[in-house]
Amino acid sequence: MTQAVRNYITFLTRCARIAFVGDWRYYAWMGLLTAIVLLGINAYCKQFVHGLIVTGMGDEVSWGVYIGNFTFLVGVAAAAVMMVIPVYIYRNKELHDLVVFGELLAVAAILMCLAFVTVDLGRPDRFWHLIPGIGQLNFPASMLSWDVVVLNGYLLLNVHICGYLLYCRYCGRTPSRWFYIPFVFIAIAWAVSIHTVTAFLYVGLGGRPFWNSSIVGPRFLASAFTAGPALIILALQVIRAVTHYPISDKALLTLRSIVQVSMIINVFLLINELFKEFYTGATHVASAKYLFFGLHGHNALVPWIWTAIVFNLIAMFLLVLPVSRSLKWLNLACVLSIIGIWIEKGMGMVIPGFVPSTLGMIVEYQPSTNETLISFGIWAFGLLVYTILLRMAVPILQGRLARANEGCGVLEDGLPPKVETAIEAH
Amino acid sequence: MNSQSDAPGKAPAPSMRRRSFLRSSAIFGAGAAALAASLKPLMDLEKFTSTEEFLQKHYKEMSPADMAKVLARISREVEKQYDVRPHVRDLRPMDGVEFVYALNLTRCIGCRKCVHACVAENNQSRSPEIQYIRVLKMPHGSLDIEKSDHNYDPEKVPEKGFFYMPVQCQQCENPPCVKVCPVNATWQEKDGITVIDYDWCIGCRYCMAACPYGARHFNFAKPSIPKERLNPEMAYLGNRPRKIGVMEKCHFCVQRTRTGRYPACLEVCPAGARKFGNILDPESEVSKILSTKRVFIQLKEELGTSPRFFYYFDV
Amino acid sequence: MNDPKKIRLALTTLGVVFAALVISFSLDLWGRVEPVRQLPLVDEEFLQPQTWRRSYADLVKKEDEDELLAFSCYECHEEGKKLELTYDKDNHVVVPDEHENIVMGHGSHGRNNDCFNCHNSENLLVLQTRDGHSLKFEESTQLCGSCHGPTHRDWEHGSHGRTSGYWDRSKGEYHKQDCVNCHNPHSPKFPQRAPAPRPNHLRVNPVATAHFGESNTH
Repeated sequence: MTQAVRNYITFLTRCARIAFVGDWRYYAWMGLLTAIVLLGINAYCKQFVHGLIVTGMGDEVSWGVYIGNFTFLVGVAAAAVMMVIPVYIYRNKELHDLVVFGELLAVAAILMCLAFVTVDLGRPDRFWHLIPGIGQLNFPASMLSWDVVVLNGYLLLNVHICGYLLYCRYCGRTPSRWFYIPFVFIAIAWAVSIHTVTAFLYVGLGGRPFWNSSIVGPRFLASAFTAGPALIILALQVIRAVTHYPISDKALLTLRSIVQVSMIINVFLLINELFKEFYTGATHVASAKYLFFGLHGHNALVPWIWTAIVFNLIAMFLLVLPVSRSLKWLNLACVLSIIGIWIEKGMGMVIPGFVPSTLGMIVEYQPSTNETLISFGIWAFGLLVYTILLRMAVPILQGRLARANEGCGVLEDGLPPKVETAIEAH
Repeated sequence: MNSQSDAPGKAPAPSMRRRSFLRSSAIFGAGAAALAASLKPLMDLEKFTSTEEFLQKHYKEMSPADMAKVLARISREVEKQYDVRPHVRDLRPMDGVEFVYALNLTRCIGCRKCVHACVAENNQSRSPEIQYIRVLKMPHGSLDIEKSDHNYDPEKVPEKGFFYMPVQCQQCENPPCVKVCPVNATWQEKDGITVIDYDWCIGCRYCMAACPYGARHFNFAKPSIPKERLNPEMAYLGNRPRKIGVMEKCHFCVQRTRTGRYPACLEVCPAGARKFGNILDPESEVSKILSTKRVFIQLKEELGTSPRFFYYFDV
Repeated sequence: MNDPKKIRLALTTLGVVFAALVISFSLDLWGRVEPVRQLPLVDEEFLQPQTWRRSYADLVKKEDEDELLAFSCYECHEEGKKLELTYDKDNHVVVPDEHENIVMGHGSHGRNNDCFNCHNSENLLVLQTRDGHSLKFEESTQLCGSCHGPTHRDWEHGSHGRTSGYWDRSKGEYHKQDCVNCHNPHSPKFPQRAPAPRPNHLRVNPVATAHFGESNTH
């Protein structure tokens, strides 16, 4: 038992050590991210001292970029499942070894989500009120309490699955199916639930007609399953370029077909929403009018939403056409759909729900400098976490970091020499 | 990190290792300095919380002894900050009482006295301004609040062609704000008042998004009240001064109404447009209004919130 | 790729960036927090719960003996002498200069046009109803009620008019104002008044204030 613990600690130490070494690009990238994180920390300290008055939020628009980014990132986290499904349900070989990368992305995305929710709190010192047992989690009545449960649960599931698979690979033993396959299937259902619950957070509010629409849930899933795998397509290519980890184009094209179908559904659902809002023309159309065309001279969101729609449409056409079988066009489509969906979730979904206010006042929202820096800081933090996780995972999967080469010293790239006994399969 | 070399490991020369160690230490030092500098704004942090406040239990879990301690703490804090010794009480709902508010739209002249009397009574922040009541100026013939004007400022009110509708917490029978609170920091009491434990609220503002009446307000900054305008007659769930980062809202002046008095907004109304009382008492003013007036409105009735706040007309 | 020169360059740049951050954080170069705008306090006059006018009966009751004389009709009028009214060509009662503060405006129909609809022409210290009952000034509300039946019923229920004090009568005093404490009996329509200050919103964009009045009230 103690030996097992000692082994595990050695594993963690070696992983931690490796996170601090790399080539000059690694240092530059990590340094850049650290600097942005510091900018965010500095801005958050100001917010902590002076209150949320340093943001652009107010009585009318009481949620802003924090919750917008939170919503987007829940989608990214949920989309990790899109790689798991083909592997474990359809036994897709190409994606098999790449699942871990998707799950690690989910871990990083969930951490970002939790950070975004935390910075949005007026009293972060009272977070313990959310902990069941010592606090008062209002479960199941509050959708936010559901979100707390599902997000933390999803984090644990993914940490367990990735951690277990990687540790087994490190030790050179075959993972026990019973120890992770059930969790993989739970995680698949769970992934859908995190984004559904996040949608219900909005849908459940009768006083906000713009959100109180049953199509929000499906739209969230469709857009998440577009933006998430698109992000993974880009991430995998970066991993391939930087680490020479074998990732086949075929794997990327499998993901392409996921993005393709999801984007078509996403655009279709958007058309449904637009038709219902504008053809009916009831008084509740005010928010949608504000978003798409502006209301009484207020039109801050109009350029954003049309950018999103144009990007989404271009991305959809690119994805449908065979040109996107070439990576250049596929990447363009991915970038466009990520930006488009990011706008759609934040500026296109969260903010217009507050305009006009419940008492008919129109106050426009614009994030402040500090609010923007905090958001960038959290994004940088997430990328930092993802980079570190990959920095640990890639050598393990390559067999470069294994129990077999413990105590072998390191090469000039910071990794120990490869020892042939490390097994490849998992 | 891309090295494909399988060459056996060879430790670098000691001098090189020392130099690279010094270099890494310097970078780490610079990073640590930058981290320390980034925390500089925290130096402006005034007292944010205390151990006592941090560990305080939920209102409903406090024993009478706990509550006595908490009231003493609040009293101490208020006295320190405002040089006024307050009278803070924990007032519980009265038996056989359910409060209802009725507001006569025919009578309201839009003078906004209720707004400011409420601020004075309930120790709301003056800068930035928090007000529980918003008076909407509406064109005759419409109840569409998207047509309302919040900022009217003519020389004299009422203006021809308009009526005025003050909106505050509607004390719903089915309050959407209570349902959504992730930590039970807000709940409905048996006299119908939805209250907030300001010491339990985490400031997520979900209730603010859920309220269809714009009744919930958030302390975006540290509230400021001039000492000479502090109302020292306080209740735990009522008008005791709030902290930064928590929600607050109209609570029908629990510090007054739970001792049998009328709320402040009613007492100041020059037009007698505001009526308040116990709906369980058939002789109360509000019971009479609801049984004799033909038309009354529950704002946004279609949402099923079932407000305890009724608008009526003299018909 | 693992060129030590490049690593050195990357790390040096990083060191410079960190140093720059230290300086800019210390000087608080961006995102500086502005102090909260201090708003003027509302005039205390808007916080007063008194009714905007006081009735003759109240004034007489409250002031001391000497000042009371100033309110007595028989300081000027001759006791026991029946008063005669004069009317202009439109049949409107002519209010004598001594009563210039009285504006005859009871109702928009112009029919309530005779002082002795309510006052007693022979005894100025009492009021009288249309059916000939005498009422003291303190009982004026009954006089109003003799014409305004439904409003008087509402007033009795407490659903019309100003109330104050304790809703729970077992706990303390409850006050109900008489009609004339809010309505001027000669011109009962509520006068217009200056409203208390409008809200100061935490966030209002310049466009909002400019467009608000017109676009949102039509």
